[in-house]
Formats: sequence, C-alpha cells, structure tokens
Amino acid sequence: MARSQRDRLLDAAVDVVAEKGYGATTVADLTKAAGVSRTTFYELFEDKEACFLAAYDMAADVLARRVAAAFDTQEAWPDRVRAGLIVLLESLAVEPQIARLALVDVGSAGPRAQRRYRAALQRMTPFFDEGRDFAAAGRRLPANTSRMVIGAVTGLVADEIEAGRAERLPDLLPEILFATLVPYVGPKAAAKEAGER
Amino acid sequence: MAATTETRRDVLLEAMVRVVGRKGYEATSVADVIEEAGTSRTTFYKHFDDKHDCFLAAYDMVVERVFATVVAECDGEQPWLSRVRKGLATLIGIFAREPELAQTAVVEVAVAGAEARQRHWDAVTRFTGYLEDGREELDPGGELPKHISVMATGAVSGLIFDELVAGRAAQLPSLMPDLVFAMLVPFIGPAAATEEMRRAVQAT
Repeated sequence: MARSQRDRLLDAAVDVVAEKGYGATTVADLTKAAGVSRTTFYELFEDKEACFLAAYDMAADVLARRVAAAFDTQEAWPDRVRAGLIVLLESLAVEPQIARLALVDVGSAGPRAQRRYRAALQRMTPFFDEGRDFAAAGRRLPANTSRMVIGAVTGLVADEIEAGRAERLPDLLPEILFATLVPYVGPKAAAKEAGER
Repeated sequence: MAATTETRRDVLLEAMVRVVGRKGYEATSVADVIEEAGTSRTTFYKHFDDKHDCFLAAYDMVVERVFATVVAECDGEQPWLSRVRKGLATLIGIFAREPELAQTAVVEVAVAGAEARQRHWDAVTRFTGYLEDGREELDPGGELPKHISVMATGAVSGLIFDELVAGRAAQLPSLMPDLVFAMLVPFIGPAAATEEMRRAVQAT
C-alpha cells in the first residue's frame, strides 16, 4: 500500500512538473494530483526536492536500462550505438513528459538536481569509450571525447524537447548518429553509417 | 543626474551577477544584492520590480558584454577556423577571470525560471549562428547535418558546465584543447580537429 502511494507521488511529480515547471510546483499540487494526504507525503519524502529527485532517478534508470539492453543486442560498435540511440529517441518520443523531466526540468531544479543529472550522463560514457578501441586512431583522441559526444546529443535533444518537438526526435537519428560517430571514425565513415537504415 | 541613476542601476546589476554566482539564484535575496551594491532598498525598487526582474536585466547585460568582447576579438577577415579558436579562447578567458559571472550565466540561469531559460536559449542560438558561417567555408556541397552547430555547442557547453559545477572555473583554460576539438570535430573530422587542438596548445 505504501509503495503504491509512493509510485503515485512519483507519477504526479512527472506530470505536474512537466505542466507547471519545477519552481512553480508545490507539495500541495503533488498530493492533490496523487490523491494522497500531506501526512503521507512527508512520511515518504522530506520535501518537494526529494520527491522530484526520486522521480528523476526512476526516469533516468529506466532510460539507461533500455539503452543498455538495446546496445547489447549488437556486435559491431557503430551498430551498438545506433541500436542504443534508436531506443533512446523512441522512448523520449513516446513519453514526452518523462523526456522533459529527464533532460529539461532536471536542469531547473537546483544544484543537487543538476549534479545528479551530470552524474547520470557520466554513466553513459562507457558506451562511447568502446569507440576508442574500435577506431584506428581512437587512443589518440582527447580523454573527454565521450563526454563531448554526450553533450552533443543531449544539447540537441533537450532543445527539441523544450521546443515541444519530442515526438519527432526519432527523425533526428541520422544526424545524431553522425555526430556521435564522427569524432571516432571521421566524417566519411560517420556519414555512411548515418545513411544506413 | 540621469548618469548617476544609470550608474546605480549598473552597480545593482553587477552586484546581482556576483551574488547569484556565489550563493545561487534560489538563496539570493534582494537584501543580499543591495548590501553587495551598497545602495538602498528604495533605489533597488526604483529600478526593478523584484529579484527576478533584476536577474533578467543582469543576465541580458552579461550576454551583451560577453558577445561584444568575443566579437571584438574575432577579426571577420580571418578564416572561420581561426575565428572559432579565437572566439572560444576569449569566452573561456572571461569565464576563468570572472568565475561568478560564469556560474550565473551558464549554471544559475537554468534555475531562474522559464523566461530566464528562454533568454539563455536565445543567447546560445546567437552563438550557434556564428558557427553556422562554417558551413559555407567548409562544406560547399551542403552535406553537413542540419543541426551540426547545436550539437557542437552542446558538446562544448556540457564540458564547461561540468567544470563550473565542480567549482573549477579557474582551470577552464587548461581545457582549451579539448574544447577546440569538441567544437570543430563535427565540422572537420578527428584528424583535422586534432591538428587545430595542437595549435590551441601552442597559442596558450
């Protein structure tokens, strides 16, 4: 019983923050949307921020697990990246509110949320670090190459979500695949991979 | 008289940038800002409706100042690659010298509400506009992806954001080679971007 109330509050955090923004959201909004009492809220969470961070962790974990599973279905590194990106972009397109929470609102929810967000992105670096072994000159690339690629992807994706175009994200796969592969394999090979379906 | 009023407003804007950079937007109060500026509460409310109003004006001032400095350092006659390297070095120099400004302009602006985020987005779009010039010079065939400038900017701003959140603004210049690589690699590929990275090292 306690668990389902917690889940309802997490869902409420996703919905309400997507609609009103983090700053304007109150604990009263969350309890109303979840249909739970204020007492129950404070039994489960210390404050609004704690509830929001729990909702963010849930969304980030689901996305990371889906991407990792898709990545592992393929052998060659460019195919692994493509499979991971397809699942990422489709997940965000199907659940635009989760997309907003995980890539836009998290940046507006204060320093703790921002640090949590950056740490979650850091956990994606191993997917791209494999490119250093795959590419002929991969070992000579800057140590930060994977972080750059993650910044390129999240920069564009967050812009599109903020502009209300989350559902069209899968259309951007060729461009995003190009940008993720190009530091490792160069423009010719990246363009070739991006052109394949 | 008018000059004094204008000056007081500017002093308040500068104070806002410094206080938010130090304490964070949420924790900053009007009292903090007037104390930092050495002005009265009456003067503050003569110029601004509230903290948010003053922050937006301060953010606009920072953006204009940063753009003016970066553009002044970039000779329009130089090739695009040199302009990008020089512009990036100028930007990083400002952030390293004024860590509170960097924190306010890059990190805290995200926390200050929808209007602030929109202005930040407009500023970033202006920056990517300069990058777009690279298309004509480098890619007459038009084969580069449509959103290449947004992605190049995302790569660079992600690295800068992480350094600022970790409190390493002063060390940003040591990241210049990586930032140059990140900005250029989608346009010119890894071999040429590595070459530009070497030039950035020699320039510092």
